[in-house]
Amino acid sequence: MFGLSLNRRTRLVVAGTLTLALAGGLAACSSGSSDTPSDGSPVELTFQSWVPNIDQAVDAFNASHDDVQVTLETITAGPDGGYAKMLSAVQAGEPADVVQLGYDAIPDFLINDALEDITEYVGDSEDLFVPWQWATGSFDGAVYAVPQASGPLGQFYRKDIFDSLGLAYPTTWEEYYEAAKVIHASDPNKYITAFAFNQAPWLIGLAQQGGANWFGVSGDAWDVTIDDESTMKVAEFWQKLIDEGLVKIEADFSSEWNADIQNGNVATWISGSWADAILRGTAPDTAGSWAVGAMPQWEAGENVSATWAGGSASAVLKGSAHPKEAAEFALWLNSDPESVNILTNVGAGWPAIADTSEITSLQSDPEVFEFYGGQDIWDVFAESDAAVDTSWMWPPLSSTLFASLTDNVKSAVEGGTPLTGAFEATQTDMVDALEAKGIAVN
Amino acid sequence: MATIAPAPATAPATRRRPPVALFVLTVPFLVMFALFFVAPIVYAVVQSLFATKSSGLGFGAPETVFVFFDNYLAALSNPSFVESLGRLLLFSLIEVPLMVVTALGLALLLESARARFPRFFRVVYFVPYGVPGVIAALLWGFLYIPATSPVLQGLAAIGIDINPLSSDGVLFAIANIALWGFAGYNMLILIAALNAIPSELYEAARIDGASEWTITWQIKLPLVRPSVILVTVFTIIGTLQLFVEPLVLRPLTTAISSDFTPNLAAYNQSFAQGNPNLAAAMAVIVAVIGFVFSFGFLRLVNRKGNRAW
Amino acid sequence: MVTTAPGSTTAPNSPTASAAPAAAPGRVARGQRIRQPLVSTIVVNGVLVLAAIYFLLPILWVLIAATKSPGQLFNSFGLWFSDSPQAWQNLVAVFTQDGGIFTTWIVNSVIYSAVGAFVAMVISAACGYAFAKYVFRGRETLFSIVLGGVLVPATVIALPLYFLLNAVDLTGTYWAVLLPSMVSPFGVYLARIHANAAVPDEVIEAARIDGAGDLRIFATIATRMLMPALVTIFLFQFVTIWNNYLLPLVMLNSPRTFPLTLGLTLWNSQTQRDPMFYQLVVTGSAVSAILLVVLMISLQRFWKADLTAGATKG
Repeated sequence: MFGLSLNRRTRLVVAGTLTLALAGGLAACSSGSSDTPSDGSPVELTFQSWVPNIDQAVDAFNASHDDVQVTLETITAGPDGGYAKMLSAVQAGEPADVVQLGYDAIPDFLINDALEDITEYVGDSEDLFVPWQWATGSFDGAVYAVPQASGPLGQFYRKDIFDSLGLAYPTTWEEYYEAAKVIHASDPNKYITAFAFNQAPWLIGLAQQGGANWFGVSGDAWDVTIDDESTMKVAEFWQKLIDEGLVKIEADFSSEWNADIQNGNVATWISGSWADAILRGTAPDTAGSWAVGAMPQWEAGENVSATWAGGSASAVLKGSAHPKEAAEFALWLNSDPESVNILTNVGAGWPAIADTSEITSLQSDPEVFEFYGGQDIWDVFAESDAAVDTSWMWPPLSSTLFASLTDNVKSAVEGGTPLTGAFEATQTDMVDALEAKGIAVN
Repeated sequence: MATIAPAPATAPATRRRPPVALFVLTVPFLVMFALFFVAPIVYAVVQSLFATKSSGLGFGAPETVFVFFDNYLAALSNPSFVESLGRLLLFSLIEVPLMVVTALGLALLLESARARFPRFFRVVYFVPYGVPGVIAALLWGFLYIPATSPVLQGLAAIGIDINPLSSDGVLFAIANIALWGFAGYNMLILIAALNAIPSELYEAARIDGASEWTITWQIKLPLVRPSVILVTVFTIIGTLQLFVEPLVLRPLTTAISSDFTPNLAAYNQSFAQGNPNLAAAMAVIVAVIGFVFSFGFLRLVNRKGNRAW
Repeated sequence: MVTTAPGSTTAPNSPTASAAPAAAPGRVARGQRIRQPLVSTIVVNGVLVLAAIYFLLPILWVLIAATKSPGQLFNSFGLWFSDSPQAWQNLVAVFTQDGGIFTTWIVNSVIYSAVGAFVAMVISAACGYAFAKYVFRGRETLFSIVLGGVLVPATVIALPLYFLLNAVDLTGTYWAVLLPSMVSPFGVYLARIHANAAVPDEVIEAARIDGAGDLRIFATIATRMLMPALVTIFLFQFVTIWNNYLLPLVMLNSPRTFPLTLGLTLWNSQTQRDPMFYQLVVTGSAVSAILLVVLMISLQRFWKADLTAGATKG
């Protein structure tokens, strides 16, 4: 904070400086200061994140480290503007040291040259993490991010509603469709689920679970197959549910959706492991009525899962004055048992570390389990995490992908045009966007 | 542009010394204006002529290249951006008359002899002006959703089901938020203008046997015309900046896409999709349209009558 | 852009009308009230009451919603209190969340609005006065450019401004929001119109003959005559800054520097992760609405007259 008593002289100095800066070229950038404290005072880092209550983990770090002190800045979630601010800050030469970054956003930041190569600081910690999660932060043998947590998918459902209608848990999508009919027939206000048109990660997760693998690399160019056969199969399935009025078209997390979760009008929710905390917070009155099951399968007897658009990592922004300390903080935050315990408790997601035996809340959590009628729901997600197709790869411009997919699905739902068309349109949009950036597409 | 020549009596007095005072008085504002309005616009225009390009798989530092008007072409050949311009136009057609008629109607009613407690009502109508657009949109967002809206629940109870956030209703839903926030403010402008009409005019008219209607149409409306024009221009400008309301309502409905209005499209290009160059081009297009509209409107009303303001 | 006549004698009715608003027409009209037919009185007042309900509805809703638990928020009738109101509990939650940051947001909003509006008032009044009282080359062109500033969408300016201010290390500080807020082209316009109408050239001339310098004439004599316009410029800019969202969104990083608008939307974005935040958003909005209602009511009498009577005449 600064004093507000500015005299005219100060004002003139400020104005003069601005004028000089303008005269010196509009794009003038100041370089980040690279002061290394030699007087024994701790290195100061800033960490930007939007995970609620992550300050507890930061506090724990500060308490256990004398030489490095981290300040947390809570920012708007990345896709809602947080990423843009990080990129602007890098461009302007004043970045935060460590930031929260979705797996999907890492390639975006790489094409903007916004990430520090931290291989030399954390490269030998690879073994601590689940391989597919570690891989999301490594490109061409260099490490750019330390994975934090993912969101393996599972299906939260109102066991009491299923039981009262004599429905068994749907293990295949065909059974899911039959259950949807029964639920809606029992009460015209009740639906098996909300079709979350606003949620690109959800749509992508469903496609991924159906076997889609939208992005790949062959040669020096990207393969983009958003309109592949698997995706069309998934789209047609949901089209059927929409056409027959068996799902409620409604944005998740909206106040209407919250009400529907509370009063049982929406009976299931396919979501990431972190959704447990949201359900308990939204609908405390329904405690005991919920349960969690594995994803319905396309072929009976299979076990294919997916994630809520990957997960989240910590990365060091280019231009950080203290990349070494920043990388070490990122590693500690996501692998130290004390920190991972905190992160898991505040709902950051399913930990990315390979060995979760020290994560007490994943071993036994009576308060959580009680809400789900005594079920150990973490078993379901542990299995789901192991069944994720690890070859999924994020392309650059994932934010364009998310925006385009959401817009296209919205307009399909709104205009009554086929969902398959929405994915085809997204394919076109994505290829156009990549090519417009000069990125090669096959 | 209508400028009356300076009155001879005063001109020499001010022309005598082009004094230091003139600079002291004007320079602080003009410098700030240059820094915080002109410079960013120039910067935006410059930015809109460049693009960042990657190559191969896209990894590694992108380079910035000069692309002339490519960003403008990209914006204008993008159907959804052009659509958003059309939507903005449609929105203006709803919002501007709605706002002007409401503000004028409330002002006339409050200033009519029949109104009881006019001071009380004036305050009530003005209060929403102080509620920031973001918060107003949040509040109306709750009132547009059946789960939380007593209005929709009440209507549903008597058999009327409306969904303000459907694609047919959403422009009206947004127009309503703007109306709610600004009608009271515009009303005050018009009330002040009505108050400035000399009372002798009314008395003379009444003596001539004019009815309240005649007085309203023949005296009040013509005399507050400049204020009505002012309100109209303000509303046009406000309309073109349409941004916060759709931004806040977007997560709630299928009817609002990420490029619902040109400003929202620019914001998204810049803040969500990392393409500030295209965003700059879009923003410049909106600014140009704003100038054309506002000046065009003033031209139009000035040609019809005498000078507006 | 249409401009007023430089140095022309004031329009016959503008300064007096703005100084004594509502006096005459109201009294005449009220004297005739008895003769108004009852039906139209009922219709007029009925419409006024309906309009009042419309303008108060969202505020009423949020005040009631602020007394509910998050569960009841979505599950009970919106315009009546729930069985177990918990207004106090919600208020405590709002003011203690994140170490009491809500109070900081209120203070920040006041700082941004008050300081920004005060400086804007001073410099735009000076400039508008100069436009009105000095004849110089390029005056009308310059004035049109300044007025054009009113038309520029905020989205055009915000991001480039970020890069410009960052070049001098100001982003992320209070200055990044304060400095741009100090520029009010509309204020210059109002000041010019009012100076034309309310500060007679004869007064300036007389003061000069008495030996007063131009700056002193402005600082002492003209400022006093322009007082109603100054108040209007201040209030207008105050509300504009108070309501601003995009500029702080672009400029600020640390929540400790946020104004209310940005703080509440930060909480709103967290509802995606934790539905408890819905109640914080609702109660926080209710608190800020109360603040603004108090502000609007106490300032209302300054608003009514001067803005226009001056602005639309010349």
